[in-house]
Amino acid sequence: MRGHDTVISVQDLKVHFQAKAGVVEAVDGVSFDVREGETLGLVGETGCGKSVTARSFLGLVPSPPALPPQGSIRFRHRGEGSVVDLLRLDAADMGRIRGNQIAMIFQDPGKALNPALTVRDQLGEVFAIHRSAEVLEGAGVGPDDHDFADHLIRRAARLRSRLLERLLLALPPWRSRRANLHAATDDLVVKALAETQIPNPANILGRYPHELSGGMKQRVMIAQALACNPDVLIADEPTTALDVTVQARIVQLIADLQDRHDTSVLYISHDLSLVRRICDRIAVMYAGRIVEIGPAEEVFNHPKHPYTRGLLAAIPSMASEKGELEAIEGTVPELIDPDPGCRFVDRCPHASDMCRADDPSLGAVAPDHAVSCFGYHPIGGSELTAPSVIGEDGHSE
Amino acid sequence: MTASQASEPAGAATPATREMADDPDTTGDEDVLLSVRNVAKHFPIREGVMQRVTGQVRAVDGVSFDLRRGTTLGLVGESGCGKTTLGRVVAGLETPTSGGVYLHDSTGHSPAGLGSVSIDRLQGRAARYFRRNCQMVFQDSFSSLNPRHLVRDIVGRPLKVHKEASGTELTERVVELLEQVGLGRQHLYRFPHQFSGGQRQRISIARALALDPEMIVLDEPTSALDVSVQAQILNLLHRLQTERGLTYLFITHDLAVVRHMASEIVVMYLGRVAEAGPTEALFADPIHPYTRALLRSSPDVAGAGDATMQGLEGNVPDPARPPMGCRFHTRCEVATPACGWEIDDVINRLEDVPGMFDELVGVERRSRFDADLVFDDDTSAHRLADALEGAEVPVSMTAAIETVSVRERAVSIRFREVPEVTLTVRGGGRRAACVLED
Repeated sequence: MRGHDTVISVQDLKVHFQAKAGVVEAVDGVSFDVREGETLGLVGETGCGKSVTARSFLGLVPSPPALPPQGSIRFRHRGEGSVVDLLRLDAADMGRIRGNQIAMIFQDPGKALNPALTVRDQLGEVFAIHRSAEVLEGAGVGPDDHDFADHLIRRAARLRSRLLERLLLALPPWRSRRANLHAATDDLVVKALAETQIPNPANILGRYPHELSGGMKQRVMIAQALACNPDVLIADEPTTALDVTVQARIVQLIADLQDRHDTSVLYISHDLSLVRRICDRIAVMYAGRIVEIGPAEEVFNHPKHPYTRGLLAAIPSMASEKGELEAIEGTVPELIDPDPGCRFVDRCPHASDMCRADDPSLGAVAPDHAVSCFGYHPIGGSELTAPSVIGEDGHSE
Repeated sequence: MTASQASEPAGAATPATREMADDPDTTGDEDVLLSVRNVAKHFPIREGVMQRVTGQVRAVDGVSFDLRRGTTLGLVGESGCGKTTLGRVVAGLETPTSGGVYLHDSTGHSPAGLGSVSIDRLQGRAARYFRRNCQMVFQDSFSSLNPRHLVRDIVGRPLKVHKEASGTELTERVVELLEQVGLGRQHLYRFPHQFSGGQRQRISIARALALDPEMIVLDEPTSALDVSVQAQILNLLHRLQTERGLTYLFITHDLAVVRHMASEIVVMYLGRVAEAGPTEALFADPIHPYTRALLRSSPDVAGAGDATMQGLEGNVPDPARPPMGCRFHTRCEVATPACGWEIDDVINRLEDVPGMFDELVGVERRSRFDADLVFDDDTSAHRLADALEGAEVPVSMTAAIETVSVRERAVSIRFREVPEVTLTVRGGGRRAACVLED
């Protein structure tokens, strides 16, 4: 059984963008927890704000055009037990956490890897920035060594060498020390690559990303993300660009590594069938808000929110008749100065006046399962009760 | 388009277990709209200053199937298997290197040459007939709609080219088409960028419908769309098919979509057909190990519950040098000695073993199955000979070796020579290219 301690707690996160036509409320009041060791799926369609939510964890949302984010993302450091608000960190502090305690894998490994760096350089950088102590230990430089050469090597290990220092390190007396340093880095890089089941990782150290297949590139990126044994891994559609046969293996790999290191994973995807298979809990987003959150099987077998039901019914399955897929009519609303009230109201078959006037907040319908729909948790003593608005049997497997 | 064609049930195809002969006329089946016969498309690899041709990428390498009137045939496979190239050949956008695609016409007064001459060699009236009747919808609606043209010009272009309409009549015809795909008059004078992905795909479909074709090649029409929009487009395609008796060649990598849309499925691997047959039978009981692997990997299709998805080991081999025998044998879990093990497999399998080929000097090939591997020292040679019997290579590969001998620093390996594995007819209208019986 996985622990229930919260690693990251997102409270009322709002990320708005300044556009010419007005303020785009891309993420508007999102709250959820990521628990220790769990896989939380964040699903939704294009433009629902799932990537912006995840990127704001690491301060990767460019500002401008983004306005300063509101709310809080509280991160509990597993080792130290200290709690920080990721939205309020300065660049240096964020730099220490990013890639170290919280790492991210991106959708397109072809674009996320630097095409001008070899696999060795790409991964070596992670160790240089976050794990230079280990590299130095491997290179035979202890914390108490303080002569000039040690100083040079120490700076080189952190990729801080100036031009003159690099020249000095290329000269005979220090060359062997530099070679030791490179060997130590290579060792760590090979170890990290081996974790991702790349056969004979030493072979690909000198290769550039374009020389690797899509699945291999994704493995390099996973190795890079997991190199520092992070507390939290954010995976932003990591297998969307890959074939199903490769996807299955990458997903398996992430799950194995997660089990071994007890990492929490925030898995962002638009593929509901996939998320169901790999996630413990699922949060469904629509137009910048979470509409439903709960245990994966619960959300799939007993979806409550009309949007979740619509999404599940739209997947072609054995049962669905040709030409009778239940598409959700209409389109996603504009997020520039949206109306108050539920954002799904224009596409919802059960919409009432109340839905237009007021915004339903997330309310529990079962232990650990919350929905933002008036159909389930009427406010202010309204007569609406769950079964009368939306039947339980709206979706069948 | 006659009424009888339009009312034909889409899912009721009963494919006969015909031989796929070279002669397109031997099919003798009224239902067949299009036959693909031994189609190959090779792209030359050019190298050096002189751009000399140094090899051929065999994107499609001998594919045959029939497309029945009013039905949907699904073409599935991983990226790089040649499904898009084949779709482009069928639509007349690429000329096949060999083989042919034949469009049949049941009306009796078809233009000369149709049905007996491959579409890439049709002339005059017959060529125009083919072009009108075979349209294509592309995957990426961003790049397949000209960003500087108005919707009216995009959808009306086929009508203009075939001198069907002009002026106000053209506009009215375009409005009619737009209404059929769920758009309207208000969208006439807009540019593609003003539409969402789903709407742009609707415009592509309207353009394909403009000349009232018999068939449409759909190349991944929904893979760039969200599920709820995908459902809208799939419903639209199905409605158009029942209303107009359209025939679809549906190219996709999404097994859930293809199972929903197609009555027959062709699974491609590395330019060849691995398996073909009616959808239900193929999903219920896949014959070819590759089909099984595909189904197992797909989260929509693989057994419900928390059954783990399993992927495939290894990479897709180089299509410029496809494996001998069965093309899938390098990644197959149930491979046998008769599957076509060859010298390349020795190198591919063992190159990741550290130090195995460090001392390799050269390879003298007598054939793809027979070669000498020459090393710099005899320890390496003995090491390779031992490895061929060890756990690093599959048992079936070891069993396929006829002789292995070490002479000083050279290892001489000869594999059993096997012919190419061809498609064989199985029960229930199915075909599979596998040496194993069911």
